Amino acid sequence: MSLSNSTHNPNDVYEKDDRRISRTDMNMLIMNYLVTEGFKEAALKFQQEAGLQEPALCSSLDERIMIREAVQSGRIPEAIAMVNALHPELLDNDRYLYFHLQQLQLLELIRAGRAEEALAFASATLAEAGANDAIALTELERSLALLAFPDPHASPFADLLLPSHSQKIASELNAAILKMENQEYTNPKLCSLLRMILWSQSELDKHNIKYPKMTDLANATIEHPK
Amino acid sequence: MAAMGSGRGTMNSQNQVQSDTVDRLKLLYPNVNEDETPLPRAWSTKDKFSYIGLSQNNLRVHYKGHGKTHKDAASVRATHPIPASCGLYYFEVRIVSKGRDGYMGIGLSAHGVNMNRLPGWDKHSYGYHGDDGHSFCSSGTGQPYGPTFTTGDVIGCGVNLVDNTCFYTKNGHHLGIAFRGLPPNLYPTVGLQTPGEVVDANFGQQPFVFDIEDMLRELRARTRLAIDEFPLPDQGQWQQVLHRMVSTYLVHHGYCSTAQAFSRATSQPIHEDIASIKNRQRVSKLVLSGRIGEAIEATRRLYPGLLERDADLLFLLKCRQFVEMVNGSDAEAGAGAGAGADKAGSNGVATSVISHTSRADVNGVSGAGESADVDMAPAAANGDHEVCVCDVTDADGCGARASVERMLAFGRELYAMSQKLQQDLYHKSMLENAFSLLAYSNPWDSPVGWQLEPVRREYVSEALNSAILEAQGMQWRSPVEQCAAHSRALLQRMAAAGLGACAFADLAALLRR
Repeated sequence: MSLSNSTHNPNDVYEKDDRRISRTDMNMLIMNYLVTEGFKEAALKFQQEAGLQEPALCSSLDERIMIREAVQSGRIPEAIAMVNALHPELLDNDRYLYFHLQQLQLLELIRAGRAEEALAFASATLAEAGANDAIALTELERSLALLAFPDPHASPFADLLLPSHSQKIASELNAAILKMENQEYTNPKLCSLLRMILWSQSELDKHNIKYPKMTDLANATIEHPK
Repeated sequence: MAAMGSGRGTMNSQNQVQSDTVDRLKLLYPNVNEDETPLPRAWSTKDKFSYIGLSQNNLRVHYKGHGKTHKDAASVRATHPIPASCGLYYFEVRIVSKGRDGYMGIGLSAHGVNMNRLPGWDKHSYGYHGDDGHSFCSSGTGQPYGPTFTTGDVIGCGVNLVDNTCFYTKNGHHLGIAFRGLPPNLYPTVGLQTPGEVVDANFGQQPFVFDIEDMLRELRARTRLAIDEFPLPDQGQWQQVLHRMVSTYLVHHGYCSTAQAFSRATSQPIHEDIASIKNRQRVSKLVLSGRIGEAIEATRRLYPGLLERDADLLFLLKCRQFVEMVNGSDAEAGAGAGAGADKAGSNGVATSVISHTSRADVNGVSGAGESADVDMAPAAANGDHEVCVCDVTDADGCGARASVERMLAFGRELYAMSQKLQQDLYHKSMLENAFSLLAYSNPWDSPVGWQLEPVRREYVSEALNSAILEAQGMQWRSPVEQCAAHSRALLQRMAAAGLGACAFADLAALLRR
C-alpha cells in the first residue's frame, strides 16, 4: 500500500499547478550536470534514453573531457599541456589551481613510491608556491608527510590519495575553463540546489525555527523536529 | 478534492475580473502563494474607523469626521497583511487632497491596533506624517525623518522583509530607512484627521512612481551570492555526494546505459542488478508511452503479487488505462479505435451515455452507486442516444460500437473496483475525472482534457516504479528528487516563519529548462 502513504501526496495527480516537480525538469537538471562537468558519453546516452533534446554541448567539451580524464588518471603533465594549449593564460593567472595540479603530480610520485623524485620535485617546483601562500604550504606539508608512512594509504593523510581528491581538482579545473569561456553557469545547477538546502537550513537555524532537517544530502536523510 | 474541483471554477471567474491586476502583482511577488497568503489589494471595509469613507474599488480613502482634535483621527488597514514571501513589499499613496490641515499618516500596523489613531502612535504601528514630515515608531512623538507632503505628492512605503526594515519614497525619491526591527504580518495602513483629506492607494495594480526594480535586483543578487558561496560542510566529499546523486537518479528511473556510462567515468558503484534496472525501465517505458495494459501485464509477470497486494496502485493504473483508451493509445482500445473519425464517433456515443449515468452518479454519491451501474449497461447496449448513434453508423458501424462497448465494460469493471477500495475523495475524483472525458465529443479540448496529456503518465509511471523499488527494499524516491522537494518545503517553511529571504532564492529558475 505504498501509494496512499503520507509520503506520497495523492492530490498531486489532479493538481494542474506546477507544484509537482516534473520528470522533465529533473532530467534537465541531471543533463545540466553531465554537460557542465564534461561527462560526454553519459550525456549522449542520457539524451537517447530519456528522449531529451540534443544537449547543448559546449565547443570545448571534448577538450574538457580529455583534460578531466588526464587529471583523474594521474597524467598531470599531459593535462597541464592540454590546458595551456586551450587557454595559455589560464594557469598563469590562477596560481592556486596550478599549484593543485602540481600537487597531484607530487602525489602520483608518492603513490608510485618514488620518494626521492617526489622530494626533488617538491623542492624544485612546489616550494615557491608554498612560500607565497600559507594554505598551499599546509597542503604541501600534508602531501609530503605521506612519505613518512610505510603505507601512505593507511596514514592520516590518505584522503589525498583517494580518487575523490583528484576528481575534486578535475572539477575545479573544469569550472575554471568554463569561466574562462564565459559560460554563464560555471556551477552545475545540482550544486546550487544542494547549496540552497544548506542555506535555507542555516537561515532557519539562525532564527531558531523548527523544521524537518536534511542531515545527509547524499542519502537525502531528513530528521523531523522533536 | 471536491473543494479543488469547485475551486477551479471560482478561480477562473475571479481571474477574469482582475486579470490585469493579477498579472502585475504576480510579477512583483512571484513567490507569494495567494491561496495561503493573499496580497493586500484594497482597503478593508471592516477594519477601519467609522470616520473613514472608501470609494473607487476601496482604493480611495476620504475623511468624514469632524476633525477637531487628534481624538478624531481615523485609520484604515488593507484587507490582508503583507506576506513575508514578498521579500520586498511596496505600495504607494497619492495625496488627492490635503484637506483642511493635511494631518495624514502613511505606514503599517499590526492586526488589532486601535483605528481611532494615526499610524505610528501605538505599539506595532508605524507611520510617516505629512504635516511635519516626521516618522512615528510606535510612539506619540515623532522623529524628524523626511520632507512634509501635501496635495499632488506620491508617497511610497516599502518593507524589506529580509532585514525587516521600512523605507519611504516621495515622488519617486528614496528617503532612507525609517524603521528597523519590524514585527511580522503588518498591514498597509493610512490615517487621516481633518475634513477634505483624500488619498488614493496603488497596491501594485498600476505602475509605481518609484522604481523598485533596482532594489529587487540587488536583493536577488545578494541572495544568489549567499547561496552560491555558502560554505560546504565537507569539501572533499562534495564531489562524491554529487556523483552519487546523479548515479542514484539514473538508476532509480531505469536510465540503464546512462548509469553505466556515468559509473565508468566516475567509478560510482551501481547498487542494483543491471537486469533489474532494465526490467523497471521496460515497465516505465510502457507506461510513459500510454500502453498501460501491457505495463500491467509486464508488472504481473516480473513482480508477481505486487499489484495484488497494492489495490490502490492497480486502480491508479486501470484509471490511466481507461484514459488511454479514450486517447486511443492503449492497445485494448487501439484494436477497435482506428481512424480519427472512429475515435470522435466513439467518444460521441459515450458522451451522452456517460453524461447520463454520471449525473445519476453525482446525485447518489452515497447510495445510488448500483443504480448508476445498472443504468450504464442498458444505455450502452441500446445506444439509444440519437445524436451520437448517427455518428457511429456513419463512420464505420460496429467497429466503433465494439470499441465503445469495450470501453464501457472496462468502465464498469473500474467502478466495481473502486467500490472495493477505501471510499475517499481521491479515488472518487480520479474515477469521476476519467469518466468525465466521455462527456465531450472532443475530450482533448474539454475542461478535463488535461488528463490526456502524456505528461500525466509520469505520475503513474513514478508511482509504479516507486512501488516496485519499495517492494525490493529500496527508496521510493531518489535522493535528488527528495532534495528538490525538500528545498521547496524549506522555502515554504521560511515564508511561513516570516523569513523574507526565501523570496529571492529562485528554486524555480534552477528547475526550469
